[in-house]
Amino acid sequence: MIAILMVSMAVSCKKPGEDTIDFNKENLLENIANNQIAPAINDFAEKVSSLQSDYTTFQANPTTDNFETVRNSWKLAYVSWQTVKIFDFGPMRDYALKGSIGTFPTDTTKVLSNIASGSYTLGTAANIDAVGLSSLDFLLYRNDALTFFTSDNNYMQYGLDVIQKMNQEISAVQGQWETYKSTFITSTGTETTSAFSLLVNEFNRDYELAKNAKLGIPIGKQSLEIQMPEYIEARYSGISLDLLKGNLEALRNLYTGGSGVGFDDYLEHLDRGALNSTIRTNFNTIISLIDGFSGTLEQEMQTNVSGLNELYVELQGQVVNLKTDMTSAFGILITYQDNDGD
Amino acid sequence: MINKLLERLSFDKTIPIAPLIIFRIIFGALMLFGVSRFMLNGWVEQLYIEPSHFFGYLGFEWVKPLKGNLMYLPFFLMILSALGIIFGFLYRYSAALFFICFTYIELLDKSNYLNHYYFVSLMSFLMILVPANALFSIDSYLNPSIRRQETKQWHIGIVKFQLAIVYIFAGIAKLNSDWLFEAQPLKIWLQAHHNIPLVGGLLQEEWVAYTFSWFGCVYDLFIVFFLLSTRLRPFAYFFVVAFHILTWYLFPIGVFPWVMIFSTLIFFSSDLHTRILNRLQRLFPKKKELSLVFAPKNSTNRVLKYFLILYIIIQVIVPFRYILYPGDLFWNEEGFRFSWRVMLMHKEGYATFYLYDKKTGRESEIDNSKFLTQTQEDQMATQPDMILQYAQILKEHFDGKTLKYGDYIFPIEDPEIHAEIYVSLNGRPSQLFVAKKHDLTEFTYDLRHRDWIEPFKK
Repeated sequence: MIAILMVSMAVSCKKPGEDTIDFNKENLLENIANNQIAPAINDFAEKVSSLQSDYTTFQANPTTDNFETVRNSWKLAYVSWQTVKIFDFGPMRDYALKGSIGTFPTDTTKVLSNIASGSYTLGTAANIDAVGLSSLDFLLYRNDALTFFTSDNNYMQYGLDVIQKMNQEISAVQGQWETYKSTFITSTGTETTSAFSLLVNEFNRDYELAKNAKLGIPIGKQSLEIQMPEYIEARYSGISLDLLKGNLEALRNLYTGGSGVGFDDYLEHLDRGALNSTIRTNFNTIISLIDGFSGTLEQEMQTNVSGLNELYVELQGQVVNLKTDMTSAFGILITYQDNDGD
Repeated sequence: MINKLLERLSFDKTIPIAPLIIFRIIFGALMLFGVSRFMLNGWVEQLYIEPSHFFGYLGFEWVKPLKGNLMYLPFFLMILSALGIIFGFLYRYSAALFFICFTYIELLDKSNYLNHYYFVSLMSFLMILVPANALFSIDSYLNPSIRRQETKQWHIGIVKFQLAIVYIFAGIAKLNSDWLFEAQPLKIWLQAHHNIPLVGGLLQEEWVAYTFSWFGCVYDLFIVFFLLSTRLRPFAYFFVVAFHILTWYLFPIGVFPWVMIFSTLIFFSSDLHTRILNRLQRLFPKKKELSLVFAPKNSTNRVLKYFLILYIIIQVIVPFRYILYPGDLFWNEEGFRFSWRVMLMHKEGYATFYLYDKKTGRESEIDNSKFLTQTQEDQMATQPDMILQYAQILKEHFDGKTLKYGDYIFPIEDPEIHAEIYVSLNGRPSQLFVAKKHDLTEFTYDLRHRDWIEPFKK
């Protein structure tokens, strides 16, 4: 019977063009790599680099205007990061970028004691919550922030060190993505280490991280309904909801593949159109709910608990669509370790 | 009547021993390979050292992992005993040691349950019972009096029986509507390979999934009978090799294909085995004359005979125990394991657990990753008995704890554990599996039907 199969396969293969309309994972990976991952990394690298140059300008001339410029380029970098952080594989994983740049909330005591001592190694595991974008949120937006910068050289230096560290790391990743890209595009298998599996798994993981860390934990979902404002991302600047929105827009963009091939096309190809439209509708609902908030997350937590709960329920419902329905339709294993299956 | 049956089974009829000797070497080598691969892949660490909680089997929850790196000890012992099996050195002790270590590891955590691990446990147990060291072994070199050219028929028959059970029940398990009439889960699994050069496009064709499904079913059901036929055996074995290499290529099933490819060699004639064995023996210098004893003298112990019959009966009955349960077997998984249901379903779930404090009426979502590894969480989310076990783990963890959030202090006593779980089975849209209304700590983990699982809608 296998022999018959082989023969029929050989015969079918002689008819080129017949299967060309079929969906191809390689096209998806190519689209995501070229039109999303690489541009996202480049954009973030650019934003961090302007942050650094704005910061050195500010260091030389610490005026209020220059300070505002630094704050603004920090914001832009932080929003840009919301896309990059999804792609936690390949060089990103090698450099553990997701942790070193994106860990929050920052340990303010640790940051201040580092500054006070003036001697620190920012790359250590212990300092993971004293570096990255979140540490700058504290440094740039705490009360009387500008005064601290102007009155304390260590303080000024710490900000620079944190930015330089990010700059070095993202530049290194940027360089290596160019070489990794071709490996990524052709890695279409079903094993857990294949690029396609990594992409789907990290997509799911980042979605859940957004749901839990950016919203669920602060609003008390894991603490017997007691709100935990100290866990709010970017609490000092108050841009938490912008970041949540940026993150979800990036996830939606990955899902749709932008104007190219995305997970939605794969679902359509698998005759799962209903699932695709559910996922799309939910993404849109979620993002418009976020748009509906006028205050910062912390303010909304005080005045609009029901609105936040409504958003959380939407986010939670979408996990099932993505992690269970979509992932199983793709036929990849959601496990993060290789194993003997049966 | 029993005596007649025993006669019919002709336990004491003798046949050439060569197939058993070769099987011993093959089995030992496969185990050596499998265990080494397991260790080199870092799975000892990942599966048995890193997890903080384990999902024991009903009645075997007392089987606990060793502390830290001591967990490597049973694996080293398995390497040694696999070598003992290959070379036939202290053979029965080696086989027993291997069986004990392997089964110990398997009993630790059902998250890692695989039919082929169960197969290895059973096979290594059977290997203790048979004199597979009676030729071409260090034991028989040191003690020529154990040498035999022939052995009792059941020594080889029981191995064939075990292989037959695996195939035939794997075939019977495929006789279900998803497999035959939806080509699921193969439709999902095969299309995922659409990037394979040349044949990739075909793998996403529906008729290919159906062909694979039906062929796999027929193969499993009948391959043993073809292997038993002298005339058809070479063709049958070609299919064995082709089938398992195909599955090895397409699916992440580790060493199992190789175990089956090499194990089924035992179906070949004793003449062929004898020739191979003679050739192997010529590679080694002969030190002593072969013993003239050809056949075993004593007849098989009565107790052992009854035991073997019981073993056979159990093997045949256990896969059918699911009949005792109402509801869908794949959905409820009552009577699912130990039944050779290999590669049979694609089940994925998403489980949110809640801690509910009775005193304040407040609830918390549980971060499963704080308690379970990714594998454990994935397995737990779709398997009802593990869901109950996890609820117990959570209850034990929180019971008596004082939770502090900001200025709020909650002394937790006798908390309820709820869960909302959605599962997708064989490509269907996900549906509610466990509703949030149940306090899962109220249900005991036993073999009774679990009526708290939401009914399956086809």
